Amino acid sequence: MKLAKILMAGALATTALTTAAMADVKVGLLGGISGPIAAMSPSMIAASKLAIAQVNAQGGVLGGQKLEAILGDSACNPQNGVDAATKLVNVEQIVGLIGPHCSGAVLAVANSVTIPAGVALITPSGTSPEITGLDDGDKVFRTVPSDDYQGRALARTLLAQGTKKVAVAYLNNDYGSGLAGAFKAEFTSKGGEVAGYAAHEEGKASYRSNLAELASGGADTLVIFDYGDGTGLTILRQSLENGFFENFVGGDGMKSEAIIKELGAENLTTFTSSSPVGEASDSNAKFTKAFTEAGGSADAIFATTSYDAAFLMALGVEIAGGDKAKVAAAIASASNGEGEKVEAGEWKKALELIKAGKAIDYQGASGSLDFNAKGDVPGSYALFKVDGDSFSVKTTMK
Amino acid sequence: MGIYELINFYVIPGLVLGSIYALGAVGITLVFGILRFAHLAHGDLATFGAFTALAVVATTGVNPWIALPVAMVICAALAVGIDKVFYDYLSERPKIITVMASLGIALMLRSLIQVIWGVDTETYTRGIVRPDNYWGFRIRDRELYTLLAMFAITGALWLFLQKTKWGKAMRAMSDNPDLALLSGVDNRLTTMLTWAIVGALCAASGFFLGLNTELKSMMGWTMLLPMFAAAILGGVGRVEGAVLGGLVVGVAEELSVLVLPSEYKAAMAFAILIVILLVRPTGLLKGKLL
Repeated sequence: MKLAKILMAGALATTALTTAAMADVKVGLLGGISGPIAAMSPSMIAASKLAIAQVNAQGGVLGGQKLEAILGDSACNPQNGVDAATKLVNVEQIVGLIGPHCSGAVLAVANSVTIPAGVALITPSGTSPEITGLDDGDKVFRTVPSDDYQGRALARTLLAQGTKKVAVAYLNNDYGSGLAGAFKAEFTSKGGEVAGYAAHEEGKASYRSNLAELASGGADTLVIFDYGDGTGLTILRQSLENGFFENFVGGDGMKSEAIIKELGAENLTTFTSSSPVGEASDSNAKFTKAFTEAGGSADAIFATTSYDAAFLMALGVEIAGGDKAKVAAAIASASNGEGEKVEAGEWKKALELIKAGKAIDYQGASGSLDFNAKGDVPGSYALFKVDGDSFSVKTTMK
Repeated sequence: MGIYELINFYVIPGLVLGSIYALGAVGITLVFGILRFAHLAHGDLATFGAFTALAVVATTGVNPWIALPVAMVICAALAVGIDKVFYDYLSERPKIITVMASLGIALMLRSLIQVIWGVDTETYTRGIVRPDNYWGFRIRDRELYTLLAMFAITGALWLFLQKTKWGKAMRAMSDNPDLALLSGVDNRLTTMLTWAIVGALCAASGFFLGLNTELKSMMGWTMLLPMFAAAILGGVGRVEGAVLGGLVVGVAEELSVLVLPSEYKAAMAFAILIVILLVRPTGLLKGKLL
């Protein structure tokens, strides 16, 4: 009797859960809302949400259900990332995760949450070369190219500009050390000299002693691999104030409008920063139009990759028929260079193709994507300079 | 490396940093000494003070220095309020519960800051300030003022504790709360007074940190460890010890770059904390045993 009661209660609970699940299909959207990329993340989240809104406006997923993005905050660090992802996976029962936004968080979340749970993860901005080597059972993707490429391209660009001697200050985390390592290897092998190379910890009030050490090597160019909302800003400020270096070069994390807002464009004439750029394409134009109408700036860093990550997640969920275990394989098949081309915003077309059983090749706002076996994508970069209150392209990077 | 370079780029930044630590450590040492628990919300209270000053600057456009006393008063009121609502309620329980409660307060304060002011990095004034040259020593006005203000504030506090009736009551409570109560000291009022002073000190340390770098919602939390190290190094319960401890920790962190890889700079406070607890648990100036 008792057992029957328990069984019945269990059955009721299951029905209740299934009905709840019928209403919405949940995906996680894990961003660096607080922490050192706080100024970048609003555009990234808005771009991801745009993709979800377009999906819902054009028929939804799995036969008319709404795709719902559950927001989480990774604070751009591994601990908070794991906490938030665990909640999304276990409590919210998401079918896939868009994000997290920072490399360290991606590695930690993938290793200890999503890979064990068999949940697919697409990061729009986790750029560390380490992510390529994850033993992920093909569950981890990114819509942004690896920093292995950015670091090398930046090294070649600087050498081509005639900068032969630099000092490198990098944040002691997966993002900073990955990018700095790739940069240093290429810069020295192509004949440049790295006259100072040091990591620093986040959140200290003074980096003048670090900068004095770096400057003692005699370089007049400082390459900073850090976040422009975090210590990167402090380092740049103290370096400018004390005249340790004349020229400053940042990685993509430094291309934050926070540094222009806080330091003033007039002080940043010698600052340049590399950043991934979307290739001009129909898909990119469609995204730009839709995002501008929604009140966003399509030039914002990682906006295109964030949009693509969300759109691909929706495609994955649809193709896999909502089966969490199949989402990753479905994502890989949705952008592999084979099949009917689908561009940004064309959810209705995608639905029809999937219904007809045809293969899809998603052409992203950020580029053609086309995941390789490691879940990485190729990409292109440009070197940006400060122009008024924003950044403008100085030169493309090869 | 020349002596000027050593002083300009290592010692002066260390002293400025040390002043900020010192202001925080004095507050920690007071709570430790008088109320007998480790106050983990100290850093976030400092962040709150810094952002309160920012709000004053942003809304009225006054000089940040005028905003400092306003922020100190508001933060003092907040600290008294937190004590009244949370800590006082737990005062009869084992102290570890209050310590854990203060961690909760820290998280609440931080979230409040993020809700009110957002998560972007802010500054009191836009742009950069290049240092002035004094016979080869490169010092910014704000660094000089930070150091002077720290000595002025802690000096005034020291005089208050030594010379006034209420200061004596606070010291009496620090020595033995039951005896103080029997001698006619109003423990409740003394506790409130302590919190008001601690809140004001928090606001000052947050303000100077923000003035010398930037304002971030995590800025106070990351300062907590060096502040505790400074308080314990100086001797728990000793105001002048906390000042000394703060300056030592600040300068040691900056100088550590000369001998250690720079990523270990943050570990300096840990190292000092462990060594002092092993070698001289009462601290440099003979404070209370923990």
